[in-house]
Amino acid sequence: MKKIVLAAVAFGVTLGSANLLEEAVKLDVKKVCDVKTNGLEKVIGVAEKFNPEAIKLGVEFKRLGIRNREYIKYTKEAIKKKQKEAVIKYKEKGKEKSQTFPTDYAAWRACTFAIRALQQVKEAEETWRLAVPGDGFKF
Amino acid sequence: MKKIVIASVVGSIAFLNGANFNEEAEKDRKALIAYFEKKFADKKNAALYFPYTPKEELENNFRWGIKWEEFRLGSYAFNKTGRAQYEEMNEFPPYEDNIEAGKELYEKTKFKSGKSFKDCFPDPAIAGDYPKYIKGKGVVTLGGAINNCLVENGEKPWNMNKGKMADLQAYFAATSREKGKKINIVIDSKEAAEAYARGKKAYYSQRGYLKLSCATCHVQGAGQRVRNEYMSPLLGHVTHFPVYRLKWEALGTLERRVKGCNKDQGETPHKPGSQWMNELAYFMAYMSNGLPVDGPDIRK
Repeated sequence: MKKIVLAAVAFGVTLGSANLLEEAVKLDVKKVCDVKTNGLEKVIGVAEKFNPEAIKLGVEFKRLGIRNREYIKYTKEAIKKKQKEAVIKYKEKGKEKSQTFPTDYAAWRACTFAIRALQQVKEAEETWRLAVPGDGFKF
Repeated sequence: MKKIVIASVVGSIAFLNGANFNEEAEKDRKALIAYFEKKFADKKNAALYFPYTPKEELENNFRWGIKWEEFRLGSYAFNKTGRAQYEEMNEFPPYEDNIEAGKELYEKTKFKSGKSFKDCFPDPAIAGDYPKYIKGKGVVTLGGAINNCLVENGEKPWNMNKGKMADLQAYFAATSREKGKKINIVIDSKEAAEAYARGKKAYYSQRGYLKLSCATCHVQGAGQRVRNEYMSPLLGHVTHFPVYRLKWEALGTLERRVKGCNKDQGETPHKPGSQWMNELAYFMAYMSNGLPVDGPDIRK
């Protein structure tokens, strides 16, 4: 019985994972991550929803030393405190560092990064062979 | 008699199946060699392969007619000024002390179990034999094998990027080079072939916010310049590790270098020892099969 429950949970997790990927592929990043139209909370909520899947698949974005999970964490804090600027803290080579961004910009970045990371997984499924010499890449 | 015939037929089938596990990898390797040899064959092809490189640069700073074995030198195979600087630096190699330190680690380290590295690796000339696919463990890189040896003998694993790990690998590579060893990656099971295929897919998949694949720079982009540096070809990449990089001012492993590439692509780097990293290394190493082990070496 225990095995059946575990198998069902594992199946559910796999299915949920596939669903998130499929859901991300259908999104229009420009629309979904538009802070003016959707508001800060909603945009960072989208990032929070999709980024864990990017982490799980090993495709999370990182820019200027900052992982997207850090953009999300500190942008959320800034939104909660109604701050116009988000101070993003991160570690580089063991040292604590931080960078400051306008909160709306940080939310937009976190959202686009989370969705695009997943969309690229799907895109790569169709394009990777085009770069293989002797396969899709003719020379 | 009947039994002998059946046994030999079964044996032949098994042998043929075994020989086929590396079929895809062998096809890929040969195509990669053909591509790079054609790309660097003659400056007449330059307009096709190097559309953004100034004509003067192609005429004055490129060597042409490069053959397979020369690709072990990375971008120094075709880059004349880079090659001259490289040869000058190699007159007093900065990694000599690392080889010595690695030799000492190999010969003098005693584990809590009473054993030593010599028990795990009786022959130190093994740099060309890794990564290996090991049933139950998956792909194991040389760094992974060293850490397995440590852990199995009650010791803590080492940092896979640098320090003692790079030193011991430098000793293994130097010994392999002295003995004339070649890269000898084996794909002898269905599981190994699948691991290779995943590594290959990872290499050619675009990733990160810059949407670059490893191949963007090191296959199609090899020989093109980013700022002042030429991008090196995939063919021959693994032959010279660990490398003393001027940027690091230290010796580092292949895993350390790949992590740097991940970062440059705009993605969270994969962990050394992870399945992704090991399988990528497996693919990369197979592409250099047959080339001489040429590490440790210097790179910018």
